[in-house]
Amino acid sequence: MRVLKIIPERCTGCMRCELACSYEQTGTFQPSKAVIRVSSFEGHTSYAPYTCPQCAEAWCLTACPVEAIGISPAGAKEVMDDICVGCKLCTIACPYGTVFYDPDSHKAFKCDLCGGKPACATVCPTQAILYVEAGTEDWLGSFAAERALPGALAGVR
Amino acid sequence: MAAKRHVIVGGGTAGWNAITAIREADKGASEITLVADEAPYARMVLPYYLGRQIGETHVLTAGPQRLAALKVTTRLGRRAARVDAAGGKLILDNGDEVPYDDLLIATGSSAVRPPVPGADGAGVHSFWTLPQARAVSGGIQPGARVAMIGAGFIAFTILNALVARGARLTVLEIAPRILPRMVDDAAARIVQAWLEERGVAVRPGVQVTAIEDAGGAKRVRLKAGAPVEADLVIMATGIRPNLEWLKGSGVEVKAGIVVDARMRSSVPNIYAAGDVAEGPDRVTGAKAVHAIEPTAVQHGRVAGANMAGREVAYPGSLLMNIVDVLDLEIASFGAWDDAKAEAFEDLLPGRPSYRKLLFRGGRLVGAILLGRTREIWATNDVGMLKGLVYTGKDLSAWKARLKARPQDIRLAYLATGTAKELLPQTLLGGPSVPERDVTVNA
Repeated sequence: MRVLKIIPERCTGCMRCELACSYEQTGTFQPSKAVIRVSSFEGHTSYAPYTCPQCAEAWCLTACPVEAIGISPAGAKEVMDDICVGCKLCTIACPYGTVFYDPDSHKAFKCDLCGGKPACATVCPTQAILYVEAGTEDWLGSFAAERALPGALAGVR
Repeated sequence: MAAKRHVIVGGGTAGWNAITAIREADKGASEITLVADEAPYARMVLPYYLGRQIGETHVLTAGPQRLAALKVTTRLGRRAARVDAAGGKLILDNGDEVPYDDLLIATGSSAVRPPVPGADGAGVHSFWTLPQARAVSGGIQPGARVAMIGAGFIAFTILNALVARGARLTVLEIAPRILPRMVDDAAARIVQAWLEERGVAVRPGVQVTAIEDAGGAKRVRLKAGAPVEADLVIMATGIRPNLEWLKGSGVEVKAGIVVDARMRSSVPNIYAAGDVAEGPDRVTGAKAVHAIEPTAVQHGRVAGANMAGREVAYPGSLLMNIVDVLDLEIASFGAWDDAKAEAFEDLLPGRPSYRKLLFRGGRLVGAILLGRTREIWATNDVGMLKGLVYTGKDLSAWKARLKARPQDIRLAYLATGTAKELLPQTLLGGPSVPERDVTVNA
């Protein structure tokens, strides 16, 4: 299936993916409602977007007590709003941190690959997010390990 | 060869997941008989039924047509009375015998009430089953005074619904703090203040001595302090696994039915899953009863796959809970109460936010998260927190940073390759299939 392949070295931190995602998902430009989220790496001019890997285990899907999460034609694990009751079990079942709760709709929400046309990949100006045929991977791990500074926290409280 | 006969006792989360896992594996080649005193439904969403966000049909997730489509023979309205393990048969409460090749015990839990005078009187309710939820729902009028005895997870799942229905709530808890088996003192204090600011009376450290009739209402007497008058009393005073019927069966029972990694009891063709099973704990490696929905799902799936002839080893369950009460999110994972762990806390004065990370060496063994549902910085990494506890990633290099900023787990999660470790892991050895897509051959 096609997945969101992330090439963090290409990310410039413009945040267009978050804006486009929230607009596509909710109709508002509101990064807090985006299901792709950009992390910045202090001490580096480095950024990396992170989103649901559409994992094989589908922790969210199996956790749901009312079968409100299915698999869409695009292969995305997708929340069906009319069935979701907002119990949040999927948000703690998912060990990737990519299922969220919307306090306005009182429903869970997550990446649904925009029905097969993911807005984040469309708007990314540097092709840091590609929607391609590939196996899903941990796209950020080695990039983050090179840049994240576990010990360096001088001046923090 | 005759079709294998699977018998499932209990139609709750564990039993239902076992049924779909069997059918996913065998496409209908075996016989499945479901014995349950109630029709299957999703207990977890009863609070939303009480809050009138959903109707009863939404709760009933596996109706007769669905069970028939999965080729499940049902014996509903019947209880299992005993097991004849040597003879390979289950004996029902009406004396009927149901022979099996393998048996799954998924009889769940029942609500228990303390032995207090009046605890079984009219107007005193439990909230555990659908009939009990109906009774509570029918007893609530706007403005009704509700006394909630017990301030554990079950009580907290229905506070939102009760407030939404216009109830005036008093919460009574015998322990010195509310949510005593879900969060620590610091978190409990924040939650209590949050509730009190929103008009809910909260009284921890009180012991109920009697529940009396008081002119059409109820009066809850306490060992010390003024009694509480209420129109409706809910006893959320705990649950107990339904195990009594197994006495003399030869199945080993400690806190629950002791099971191996394939969910088999001491009798090889008898499996157990959910609240009644004492299975492997992911963090401690010991056996434990985790009477929570996520464990029931996983137990049921693993038991079902093994009953269908597959070889699936369960990696162990993670104790975890999450509840949202009046827009305050409360979650805890793993060994959140490990007194010997090294604890890093982040408590912002005057704000309803709290984070606690518990370490054994370089391993995060438990966590507590508390924050306003709207504040994404406080709540949105709840899944990453789960991932770090679940994988047990070595965070030695990150401890100094996490000590200074317990909220700041994101980069530690990404840089330690947590996702890389998780991605190949699947419970049943392959991609999960939505239950609604599980079908049987004609």
